[in-house]
Amino acid sequence: MIAAALTIPFVVGLALLFLRTLVSGRTAAWLGAVAMAASLVLFALVWEGKDAISGEVDVEWIDLLGARLHLGATAISWPFLLMTAFIGVLCCVWLIADDTAPALVGLVLIISASSLGVFASLDFLLFFVFFELALIPMWFVIAWWGSSSVEPSAEGDRGGGLKNVPGPDPRLAARSAATRFLLFTVTGSALLLVGIVLVARDNDSLQLTEIRGGPLAAAVLIVLGFAVKTPLVPLHTWLPDAHSKAPTVGSVLLAAVFLKLGTYGLIIASSVLPEGFADVAPYVAGAGVVGIVWSALACYAQDDLKRLIAYSSIGHMGFVALAISTMSPIGIAAAVFGSVAHGVITGLLFFLSGSLKDRFGTASMRAIGRGLYARTPWLAVAFVFAAVASLGLPGLAGFWGELLSLRAAYEVGEVLDKPFAWTAVGFAVLGVALTTAYFVRAIRLLAQGEPVAQDADRDLTVRETVVAVALVASIVVLGLAPGLIVGLYDFSAVTYSGTYTPVAP
Amino acid sequence: MNIPVEWSVAGPAVIVAIGALVALLVDAFYPRRTWLGSGLPSSVALLWGGIELIRLRDDIVPSTFALSLIVLAGTLIVVVASNVMNFENAMPPGEYHFLVLAAASGALMMVAARDLVTLIVALELLSLPSIALVGLRQGDSRAIRSAWTFFLASVVSTAITLMGVSLLYGVAGTLDYDGLAAGLRDTEMPDGVVAVAVVLTIVGLLFKLGAVPFHVWIPDTYLGAPVMVAGFLSSVSKAASLGAVLTLLSAALPHTYDTWQPLMAIIAAATMTVGNLGALRQTNAVGMLAWSSVAQAGFLIAPAAALLTTDGLSAPVQYLAVYALANLVAFAALAVVLRLRGSLDYSELKGLARTDPPTGVPLVMAALTLAGFPPAVIGLVTKYVVIRPVIEGDHVWLAVVMAVNVMLGLAYYLRFVAVLVDRPAIDDPYRSPSPPVSIRISKAAVLIGTAGLVALSAWPDLLLSNLP
Repeated sequence: MIAAALTIPFVVGLALLFLRTLVSGRTAAWLGAVAMAASLVLFALVWEGKDAISGEVDVEWIDLLGARLHLGATAISWPFLLMTAFIGVLCCVWLIADDTAPALVGLVLIISASSLGVFASLDFLLFFVFFELALIPMWFVIAWWGSSSVEPSAEGDRGGGLKNVPGPDPRLAARSAATRFLLFTVTGSALLLVGIVLVARDNDSLQLTEIRGGPLAAAVLIVLGFAVKTPLVPLHTWLPDAHSKAPTVGSVLLAAVFLKLGTYGLIIASSVLPEGFADVAPYVAGAGVVGIVWSALACYAQDDLKRLIAYSSIGHMGFVALAISTMSPIGIAAAVFGSVAHGVITGLLFFLSGSLKDRFGTASMRAIGRGLYARTPWLAVAFVFAAVASLGLPGLAGFWGELLSLRAAYEVGEVLDKPFAWTAVGFAVLGVALTTAYFVRAIRLLAQGEPVAQDADRDLTVRETVVAVALVASIVVLGLAPGLIVGLYDFSAVTYSGTYTPVAP
Repeated sequence: MNIPVEWSVAGPAVIVAIGALVALLVDAFYPRRTWLGSGLPSSVALLWGGIELIRLRDDIVPSTFALSLIVLAGTLIVVVASNVMNFENAMPPGEYHFLVLAAASGALMMVAARDLVTLIVALELLSLPSIALVGLRQGDSRAIRSAWTFFLASVVSTAITLMGVSLLYGVAGTLDYDGLAAGLRDTEMPDGVVAVAVVLTIVGLLFKLGAVPFHVWIPDTYLGAPVMVAGFLSSVSKAASLGAVLTLLSAALPHTYDTWQPLMAIIAAATMTVGNLGALRQTNAVGMLAWSSVAQAGFLIAPAAALLTTDGLSAPVQYLAVYALANLVAFAALAVVLRLRGSLDYSELKGLARTDPPTGVPLVMAALTLAGFPPAVIGLVTKYVVIRPVIEGDHVWLAVVMAVNVMLGLAYYLRFVAVLVDRPAIDDPYRSPSPPVSIRISKAAVLIGTAGLVALSAWPDLLLSNLP
């Protein structure tokens, strides 16, 4: 079943790429949405309970290296799988429009399917193959369909460049952003590969279910590799440009799915390399906390809405990193919850800022102008809802990730010093306050104030409404019933394989 | 001096050499100088050599078998794809095939050599025809200049190796690999002399392999040579040099490990870095592949830093097989493109994967394989395979250098891929009414090679468990 859930989007995506001249953009997007929905349903059905590896597939692959086609959903990966497939469906729904390029839908499907493959892999080499597979399609998505917010190519141009002949200048900016994203990530993943080889040598196995421990060097390399992807400060410099230059669906996939590859990887590293990870955990926590404060400050300086959301992602990932670094069960629960919540909330934020960019040709808050409550009421309401969810209003999804993460750090766990952990909590709380402040600023700049009507003012279209409603609903559900995810983890005993082995401090 | 000759070792080389003579004679007596007249006997000889090799598999050292197979298969692709030069008046078919097959037979001897005299003779048998091949196109002054560069590099490297060989002979009193290994185990040997002898011998071979700092001749030679000859040099010739170096180190010089191991590690790191940096600046496809082949040589010799036994040869040989196939696919596709469009600048290649998928898509696949990036899974798996012995030899620093170079490599391979799949220029100049037959044969070679890469990507075990 898992194999089918992965194969369907891959096959449909490839077919759309090769037959891009035969289908219209609208049909392609419908096909994509159906394929991703099928994948989502299959992943939901595959679940066999939190103590088992659901839908396990284990086939010989490369005998000589001990690599196997080993797939399965665990209590940790299942929420990631569902979230990714869900976001994939919404991206395709978003693309149901006449001016969509079928090839873009194909790339979106391939990126989603590769990310699903990462989460579903139980073999480290297979994990790595999927990890890399998503990168080049993403490069094309950013470089070809991305745009510069400084110089929009044409008024009303959807996503800045979905037309057949985009202007030259925005493409160059998008291209350099895409290249920087790719080179940063590839450097990280090449180090990751060396780490994987080290781990495989020590354990004589590549199966995540069998690997236990490895040298410190392996932990350092693997954590570095995932830290680029997460991203942790100071390895985050690729992120703001890539996220803001990408087309709407590219930004959504980058934020909602790609960053999760990093956090999911860190969670794996903490559970398969407990000793090594314990040694680097304080640095992960430190980088996470610095990221929370730093990105919040950076957000104040942003005028471009997409850049603002991009920086806010760094802060949210900081909370997740802090949670993982405690290496406690509650920390893992916080990390998974925080990741999924960030996926749906930031997904919604990027969709809505994409809506704004489609209408006004720019994501600059000053250019869009004030008073959206009066000009485009539903769009404004949805945006304010997403912003409030992102800053962590209790009752919505964003709250639980931050709360659990702070609680995990407050309880210190077994690897961090108490003074260090509590200092981290202090700074993280400061970060929460700063986050509230910059989102309030954004709400004030966009939604409130004296409306100055523009020609491009249009409220949500049908497909935008569908996407927004689906995400709002999931944010509310996760916010009111956090047990859906947290309940997967027994706070007394959880690690990747389901058996908890205490780690020496 | 007693050099035993066994059919199991020399057989394929002899068959290929006979094929070379037949190709030359057919061309001399056949009234119309057509390409197939000498191309067919050449292909048959290579196939026959391959069959003979597989028949004798049990009598041959596994690594020699694998290297010989790479040489034979690589040369076959070169010969078939060279059809693209059919009807090109400046290229004499008989001489061309004779030289290619002579060089291939030298390459076969080189990887099978188990004493130093055979090694030197084989080295010359490979080098001299290769030099002639580079300058074979009549009236092409650039090619002649490149042939001169190559000639000088070749002569110097052979001279250096000869010096090392004579010193080794002076120290150990034998030229046989087993004898050398036994002789050098003796701790009474004068350390300094042995070290100098070993270093000189390796340096000459590294010259041939194009390792830094002996790489300068490579870009110049590849750019001046006919494209398929550059392909031959970058795959078959490189396979032979690598096989010779690795066999020499593991079979004859294992006891001088302390001398050559750090040298090889440093050279590997420098080679991949310099090669990748050079490739970053290229805007010509052959120039890019030339520098990338320098970088790839670094990946090939990196496992040598950890190599002690003949078992340790499998990692570089597996890497080499994939590298050679991908490189040949790329060069063959470029040869077709050059014939049709007359230039290999990136500006000319823009959008090739869309306007001409049978050459453009294989180029994309080859570039991704060389970069080691999915969907070319086999490239990634072989990267894993060469990093593994380096880690097992506890050279984590070298593994990290390799990792950084994977990133550098991707930067220019991806640029190439982006050019190929870009939207084509509006007024595409190439409108061929009906491509000549010869191009179809070359395209077939390209597509078969690509199919091989795709099959290996889907099922890497096919390569890893069959090549030792």
